[in-house]
Formats: sequence, structure tokens, C-alpha cells
Amino acid sequence: MSKRVVLLALATLLTLSLTLAGCSKPADTPAESKEPEVVKVGWIGSLTGDQAVWGTCELNTVKMLFEDINKNGGLLGKQIEVVGYDTRGDATEAVNAVKRLTSQDKVVAVIGPNASGQAISISAVLEEMKVPDIATVATNPKVTVVDGKTKPFNFRVCFIDPYQGAVAAGYAYDVLGFKKAAILYDVADDYSQGLTEFFEKYFVEKGGEIVAKEAFKFGDVDFRPQLSKIKNAGPEVIFMPYFFKEVALSANQARELGINAVLMGGDGWPSEVLLEMAKDAIEGSYFVNHLDFDDPDVQEFKAAYKAKYNLPVELNGYLAYDAVQLLVDAIKRANSFDPVAIRDALETAQVKGITGQINISKDTHNPEGKDAAIIKIVDGQYVFQQKYSAK
Amino acid sequence: MSAFFQQLINGLSIGSVYALMAVGYSLVYSIMNFSNFAHGGVIMIGAYIGFFSMTAFKLPFTAAFCFAAFGAGILAVAIERIAYSPLRKRNAPFLYFIISAMGVSIFLENIIIASPIGPTFRTYPRVFSAAPFNIGGVNIGRLDVTMFLISAISLAVLVFIIEKTRTGMGIRASAYSLRASALMGVNTDRIILIVFGMGGFLAGIAGILFGMKYTVYPQIGNITIKSFIAAVFGGLGSLPGAVIGSVLLGIIETFTSGYLSSQFRDLIAFVLLIFILVVRPKGLMGKITEDKA
Repeated sequence: MSKRVVLLALATLLTLSLTLAGCSKPADTPAESKEPEVVKVGWIGSLTGDQAVWGTCELNTVKMLFEDINKNGGLLGKQIEVVGYDTRGDATEAVNAVKRLTSQDKVVAVIGPNASGQAISISAVLEEMKVPDIATVATNPKVTVVDGKTKPFNFRVCFIDPYQGAVAAGYAYDVLGFKKAAILYDVADDYSQGLTEFFEKYFVEKGGEIVAKEAFKFGDVDFRPQLSKIKNAGPEVIFMPYFFKEVALSANQARELGINAVLMGGDGWPSEVLLEMAKDAIEGSYFVNHLDFDDPDVQEFKAAYKAKYNLPVELNGYLAYDAVQLLVDAIKRANSFDPVAIRDALETAQVKGITGQINISKDTHNPEGKDAAIIKIVDGQYVFQQKYSAK
Repeated sequence: MSAFFQQLINGLSIGSVYALMAVGYSLVYSIMNFSNFAHGGVIMIGAYIGFFSMTAFKLPFTAAFCFAAFGAGILAVAIERIAYSPLRKRNAPFLYFIISAMGVSIFLENIIIASPIGPTFRTYPRVFSAAPFNIGGVNIGRLDVTMFLISAISLAVLVFIIEKTRTGMGIRASAYSLRASALMGVNTDRIILIVFGMGGFLAGIAGILFGMKYTVYPQIGNITIKSFIAAVFGGLGSLPGAVIGSVLLGIIETFTSGYLSSQFRDLIAFVLLIFILVVRPKGLMGKITEDKA
């Protein structure tokens, strides 16, 4: 084992020096062809900073799955290895990490990052180096499609922001039977705007009415002026598509003003902090999530992860799991480790993931029609209601 | 009509938060002639002191309140000694003070993030019932009433100290001219420490009240940008100006959100601010520089 590591290190060094020396064919180095080849897959995400919890969970998940694959004879007869780089939550770092992965580590594909800002910025490098990327929880539409043009090397396993808005609108109108909705949203945030736009569109299309639409700006802590206005409009449901801190504050203030409407939100909600800050105010509220944490399909992974790392799985872990599944499936179908062949296979992927059926659309590189999970807060617990998909 | 009064109450409540913060700014500005951007950091630390007094040490609200106020006061004095005093001794340009203040502010925020306390949001245990008073369809939060009273009492005490005591006379004299006061035998070093102590004390009160009303997190200090603007609006260096500017800003923001559009809130509030500064460069209550505080 240690001999192989040394040789690999030597090979990498040699490759690097050759690359630096201007040789364009580092694959010819003799050390590499003699050794049983290890195929490298890149991962990028936050390992430091305020998103470190999520990044660490993703990398742990990928490592765990690769170990399993290697134990069971590897992939196409080869061992696979993950090379993970920290982006520190920064888009520039993400670009650097992808450059390093593609040019230096020669990875066949990249998994991550979880944040849209970073996922959007790495496209140019991916296209230049012709290596595909599968983002985990990057829900912004621009990660895969910009101005109606699909980015050739960007894929993802999560549904997108507009879809969440559509799911919330459909559930509110069709299942809960609400006809009058109000929206409070963060005007300075793409995520919030995306959800708002599509919630409004679908809710109105179905025959509902948006009685009030009020905005705030990231960093605000007082929402009572907007909520007072919403209160006068008399909605049955208030859609709150933003993150848990603002959700907690606005929910508390809404109840303080005597608003009894049902609250609804998206995947920015689930957090222990939300329950701690606004347990009473959000009782009976609903939100759209990527999966049900109590779904039988995810229990095996949850238990295995807990046994190996003694940590709970974060939302990101489940999507990293599906990103690996998607990649493995594509490599098998391509029957090759060629990044472009993998990319082509990804375009037609149909995989049953633990977060739902993932049918990648050739036109958008998104999993189309993926089921969302509707979660209700009952007695301070997240209680799964049903799978729901917007048509 | 009840909608109007509800928005008025909302505005007053938001304004009173700005006011507590803005007075601290103005107090320091009146003596030192620079904007103490570290003030936000002191407010944040005050909020954390109050939070941990009540959760980790299980102290009652009044004790936590005193700890937050005095703790923040001591911190503000320490900041003056460490970050400003050496500059003052060297007669450094005011820009250096501002940069030093920004450094302190960033330092305080990051020390909390890096410490075991971390960047997570903390919630105060509930002291006042969440059920609001309902007067003719207008909901008034109990905490809001308490905050309003505490702010009013603190400001009244502050005005009393400044107007009626010997130390207050020293402060007023120093605000007029630090150098001349020193020549007249006022111990300006002591006056500056007292002013920072009082500013910190108010910051601590603002911190614990803000934390109870909203939440506690390392970036609380950012909200003080609004109170700084309110202080400029009212006339930097003038205490009544800071209070009036804050309350007006709170009400303008609320009414813009309530009657026009919440998207225009900052736009209208700041256009008005610029307008007032253009028409009245010293702010609403500001006097000419030779006659401030």
C-alpha cells in the first residue's frame, strides 16, 4: 500500500514536472502505465467557514461510497479515489480548485459544490478542460442553463428554485385548499426571488389570488411593517421563501401581530435553529424539502454514515450520495473513464436515487419532475406529509 | 385607521432600537469628532453577555441587564485605551481613528465566530410574554413597551448627567473644544474615558434589548449602520438629534413599507436623508460645529 502511495506521489510529481516543462502528454510517463491505475474523481465544497458542516458531510459521504465500491471490485475493474478541495465558500477558490483537479489531478469528473454561486462560476473551466460536474444542492437555475443555453458540462441532482416555488403553490392550492396567499420575500436574493416568481405564477394559474406581496432585504430583522400590511390583506397562507433566521424572526413577528395564517417555505427552512428560535410560531407550517429524512429509502445510508463517522447526515450528504450514484451509472453505461463519454452518458441518465427518481433532461441537465417532500411542523418536529411533484 | 396606528407603533418600536444605538455614536462623536464604528461590535458583545448571563449562568433578567451594560461599558473603555488612546497621544489624523474603529469592529465579530461560541444564532429565553397588548385592534408587544421605557429612562439619565453634573459640564466643555478644556484644567483624558464608558453602557443596553427582541449573532453590529445614518440625519453630535433622527427614520421606513412598497423602503428613506443633508448639512438638530452638543 505505502509503496503504491509513494509511486503515485512520484508519478504525480513527474507528471507535474513534465507538464510544467511543456510536455503535452503526461500520460506517457512509464510509472503510471505499470501501476494498476486508480481513477480519480474530484470533489469541491466548503471544508472551512460557516458552510463547513455541509461540505464535510458531502466529502465524507463520497469517501464512504467509494470505499464500498472499491471493496466490491471497483468500477470497470479499477479502483476509484476522491480528491477533495476546500472552496471556503468562495467562487474564486472554487474555480482554482476545479483548475487544479482537471489539469493536475486529471480527474474524470467533479462532484459538488453545494452552493449555486460556486457552481455557476466553474463552468468555463469545466468546458475548457472538458470534464463534467455534478452539483449537489446548487438549486439556482443558472447552474446548468444560462440565457436559454445549456452548459455542456454542468449537471445536478437536486431540483431547482422555480420548481420548489411551483411545488409549494400546487400543494397550497390543490392539497391544502388555500385560495388567498401572501408572499414575503428577500428582494436581494436570487433564491428567494426564483421561488417567489414561480409560486406566484403557479398559484395564480391554478385560480388562486396573491393578496399581498412584500419584500425585505437581507440583513433586516424587523418585518412588522410588511407583515402588518399582509395582515390587512387577510391571506390564508403566507409563503416565506428564505432562510431559517429570517423565517424565525418573521414568523415570531407575524404571530405577535395576531396573524394566524399558515406559513409555507422552501428548503431554506430545515434547521435545528429554526425550531429553537420559533417553535411556537411555526407550529403547523409546511415547507418543501429535497427528501424525507424518515423515508425508508434513506435509512440504510443514514445508519451506515452514523456508524462510520458518528455524526448525523446533513441534507447535503443525501444529495452527494445521489451524485455518486449518478456518476457511477454514467461511467458504467459509457463503459469508459473518458470525461466526455461520461458527460454524454450523464445526459441520458435515469437513476433511482435515495432522494427520488433522477431523470436528467438533455435540455436542462436538471433532474426533471423530481419528487419533492412536503414536511409539516407538528409539535416542534419535522413530520413528513407526502411526496409531491409539480406538473 | 387601526392599520395606521399599528404601523405607527411598529415605526416607533423600530426607531427606539435605532435611538439607543445612535445616542452612543453621537456621544462619542461630540467629543472625539470621529464615527466610532466599533460601537456595533460593543453592542454585539453586550448582547452575548446578556445571553450567556441568562442561559449559562441562569441569572434573572435584571442581573443580566446590569452585566450587559457594565460589561459593554468596560469593553468600550478598553477599546479606547487600546485602539484610540495611542492615536490620540500622537495627534493622528481622524481617518486613522475611523480605520482603527473598523479594525476593532471586524476583530470583535471574528473573535466571536472563531471562538467556541461560533456563528450560530442564539435565542434569549423568553422573559416577557409573547402575547401583545391589544388596544383597539392595535397590537403592542410587551417587550416593545419595556424597550421603549428602558430607552427613555436611559436617555433621561444621560441627559441629566450631561446637563446637571460637574462631569457633565466637563463633557459639554470638551465637546465645545477638547484642547481649550484641557487648558482650562479639565481632565480631558478622564472625560474621554467617561464618555466611552457611557457610550458602551448604552451599547450594552441596546445589545441585550436587541438580542431579546430579535436574535443574537456575530453580525448584529451591521444593524448599527442604520443608527449611524439616523445619527447623521438628526445631526451628528447632538443627542436629541440622534433620538429624533432615529425615531423619524423608523417611522419613515415603516410608512414607506406600509403605504407604498417595501421595495422602496430604503430608497425613499435614503433619498430623504440625502435631501435633508443637502438642504441642512448639519442634520435636523445639528448646530454649527463651533456650537455642538
